[in-house]
Amino acid sequence: MDKGMKQKMNGKKIWFGVVLGIFWGWILSSGAILLADESIKFKQNETTFYRDLFDQSLYYEGVNQLDFGRWGRKLFGKASPSQNVNIFDEVPDSGFFTNRQGRERLSPEALEKGYQETPGPYLSRPLQVIAAEQRGIYPRFWVKDARGDEYLMEFDPQGNMELVTGAETIASRFYYALGYNVPQFTILSIKPDQFQVAPEATTWEDTGFNKTLSQKRFEEYLMVLPQNNEGLYRASTCKVMKGDYHGTFSFESRKKNDSTDIVNHRDRREIRALGIFAAWLNHYDLRESNTLDISIEENGQIVTKHYLADFNGALGSMQEGPKKPMLGYEHTIDYEETFKSVLALGFREKPWQKKWRLTDKKIPTSPAVGYFTNELFDPARYKTEFPYEAFRRVTRADGAWAAKLLMSFSDEDIRAMVKAGQYSDAKDADTIAKTLIERRDIIARYWLSRANPLDKFSFSGERLSFKDLTVEHGFASKEGTVYHIEVMSAGRKEKVVQFETKEPAFNIQPEWIPANGEAKILLRVRRASTEKTSPAVTVLLNAAGVQGIHRED
Amino acid sequence: MALRSLRKISVFSVLFFGLVATVYAGEKGQKDLYAPVYTEPLTSKSLKDPISSLIELPFKLIKWPMDKGLAFTEEHRLDKKAKWLYQRATEEGVKPLFGGSETTLIPFYGAEFNLMALTKQKEKYPDLIATTTILHGPKSFFLVGSELGAQQIFGGGHVSGFFQYDVREKELFYGIGPKSSRGDGTSYKMKTTQVGTVAGFSFSPTIDLSGVFSYKSVGITNRAYDGLGDIRNSFVSKNIPGLNGEDLLNYEMVLNRDTRDSQDQATKGSYQRLSFKFTDGTGSSSARYFTYLLDAAKYFQLASPRRIFVARFFTEFNQEINHGNVPFFEMVKLGSSGTFPLRSQTSRAYGYNRFYGNGAMLLNLEYRYTVMQYKEFKLNTALFVDEGQIFNDFGKICMKYFRESYGAGFYLSYTKNTLLAFSVAHGNEGTRFYLDNKIAF
Repeated sequence: MDKGMKQKMNGKKIWFGVVLGIFWGWILSSGAILLADESIKFKQNETTFYRDLFDQSLYYEGVNQLDFGRWGRKLFGKASPSQNVNIFDEVPDSGFFTNRQGRERLSPEALEKGYQETPGPYLSRPLQVIAAEQRGIYPRFWVKDARGDEYLMEFDPQGNMELVTGAETIASRFYYALGYNVPQFTILSIKPDQFQVAPEATTWEDTGFNKTLSQKRFEEYLMVLPQNNEGLYRASTCKVMKGDYHGTFSFESRKKNDSTDIVNHRDRREIRALGIFAAWLNHYDLRESNTLDISIEENGQIVTKHYLADFNGALGSMQEGPKKPMLGYEHTIDYEETFKSVLALGFREKPWQKKWRLTDKKIPTSPAVGYFTNELFDPARYKTEFPYEAFRRVTRADGAWAAKLLMSFSDEDIRAMVKAGQYSDAKDADTIAKTLIERRDIIARYWLSRANPLDKFSFSGERLSFKDLTVEHGFASKEGTVYHIEVMSAGRKEKVVQFETKEPAFNIQPEWIPANGEAKILLRVRRASTEKTSPAVTVLLNAAGVQGIHRED
Repeated sequence: MALRSLRKISVFSVLFFGLVATVYAGEKGQKDLYAPVYTEPLTSKSLKDPISSLIELPFKLIKWPMDKGLAFTEEHRLDKKAKWLYQRATEEGVKPLFGGSETTLIPFYGAEFNLMALTKQKEKYPDLIATTTILHGPKSFFLVGSELGAQQIFGGGHVSGFFQYDVREKELFYGIGPKSSRGDGTSYKMKTTQVGTVAGFSFSPTIDLSGVFSYKSVGITNRAYDGLGDIRNSFVSKNIPGLNGEDLLNYEMVLNRDTRDSQDQATKGSYQRLSFKFTDGTGSSSARYFTYLLDAAKYFQLASPRRIFVARFFTEFNQEINHGNVPFFEMVKLGSSGTFPLRSQTSRAYGYNRFYGNGAMLLNLEYRYTVMQYKEFKLNTALFVDEGQIFNDFGKICMKYFRESYGAGFYLSYTKNTLLAFSVAHGNEGTRFYLDNKIAF
């Protein structure tokens, strides 16, 4: 090798060393920054209404048909079990979900209060309007109070006082009690002179242009808003969360660059069950673009939490007024419904059309309640604005979990949460509460009748007892109900014994439990009224007690 | 690297705490039902199997720019800006116009200018009319029109003068009469200049009677369309009147009645148009004929506004008088969807201007039913039959010359304005597809 060649090689080595040094420097420095910041940095995921519409109604509806796994499951009737359930068939706490009412019944006061950091905007000084947005003719404002907290204020449309603000606040209470993360929502009645436009305030006009918000323009906005008899505006105020915003979260996939986000979201039971809870709350516009990912400090640690954020499309409300008759019955683009109607040559009356006809094309409830009734409500057919695959993947076990959670709310609990809507007419609160109570029962009856409804297993040392949720909630009578029990061998391949009992408890023979193992007991329910046997729930048992529960999907 | 470490740490933490929780619960004799203890460790799985993921790959190339574009549109409120621009332009007197053209895939575009609004005189003189329309369909047509007049004279009277210059780049001609052959396709370019005046009275918002006098000069250039023959060569043995263009004077009376609830997406009501016209050629023109026209449609609701049955009848006959003739370009034409800017009547299984004749009789039956409704959006499905015949003489009307089209369509509308109309029609000359932003009736 000549000298020139050696010099060239050395030069290359030096360059390689420099590049390698920079690379390692970058890796180490980014690690150091990561540790120094103690914050989670990951790519922002941003979806919007149009993007959601394209992705869910066009893209995924199309490409999901090219998914062999999906077709395979459909053809062979194989369910896709949720991935994040623990050994007791429950959903552990996470950044998505915290067991609240499910773990321990909340007091009526706590239910009414919901998630609260403050009692609402502090009005010792006029609220500073820092931004506004005009949507249609109605505005919404971002304000800052005397404490420096920021809030988003949304108002009711003309002729429907209390409709949107009530629905939004109530729905936030329900989602929070169920276990989801929601921002703080409170209702505020406010005089016009309690606002002050900040000098740097801007507004997104309905023309699509962002302009400086003048006092005159602000007063014009106020003019379209309804006022009560005392001249007060009523708003739902959503406290702007403090933390790092990372956009929205997907109902489909996990955030790959978030190390704490391991399970694909469509395989998270609490995400799948959102479709069921949306049916309960008539929350048709539950969609990805109405969610938020925020890193916040909690107990001295930075954690990422996934929030549901917009509820003005819940109950009988939508942003512009009472809910349209088809909402909740059809997706924005609903191929199945459209195809059926095309084939029926116009002679098929859709359920919402029938319901609308039966009400003589008039909303049967008051303007504050909107269009929210249970006539022709079918829990299996409820449809949110977009067809999320996660909601379609709900298994019987997921449904039973959701039903159990629904039934953990007593009538009084529901009334307590509806109270948060602060309706001026008690009849409106009563109508909403009654509809929610009735709908809770419809949904729970549906899922508990399809899944195994046995729960709350306890082992006293010689007797295994359990609750039949269907009987407990009055959806089926105790008479005519038979529990079919199978005890499997240690290898779990052979039945040791099988028998039937009419009582929700039976004795466990010591020889059924292996010395260093667990007994596997399969329980099924048969009712005289249906003559059908439910799917199985498997209970793993050892001398110390129940070691695991698994519901058949 | 750091993320991977974090992931490992988090998985390890989940397992570790799960184990601790199990041991702790075991010691206490009471289990936490909500503890993060799993039958197997949580692992990240791919959404699809490798083959399905591979199949999806090309579609992902479309998804990415679409997602970005849609997010950008919404973030910068481009949709609202576009809507505002359209509304603002219309208020200021400029109404943008666009739509599909049958003779070319390129849509036409243009605008209607309301000169009263543009000059800020609309409020001062609300009954004066001053409009100009400019439309351009690339490789298809160019049209400039203008109208100047007044309305609400003595209640319902109206009078106006109009001017129109219209260039048609690709007019098709297959011969005259019901027996013409598609193989004889020829083409011509037509330039029309027309000036005239309209005076009439509106007896009610739905009934109007008007008289029209106009002068029309038509210039014809043969063989305008690539690949199609010259009329003079293809029909050398035939007498095709008006091949060199004509100068015509028209005297017309028109009675219009329209009780539809919407001109674009009617669900009830009807319209009738009855016209009688005398045309006389000037200079060397030998044109001289009467034109009788009836165009009527009725919209029936079949027990629900979701089901509409439309029956439309159209007939026109040009009667030659005093040995005069009817120029071929002024004859009745059948073929295509019949939507503006086409002048050929709706016969959807046949091409534009497929049939020419002195007279025509046409029956369009269409059943429209709503298959999707979401807020103000509506999707209608249509099943239709078009039955039409071209004839040169009433006595020669014959059952065997009726040409039928049958087919189906989907019409998407927003607040009773058609956004997209797709239809497919089949007849004995094959199948034709249409995509437009309007429907014929």
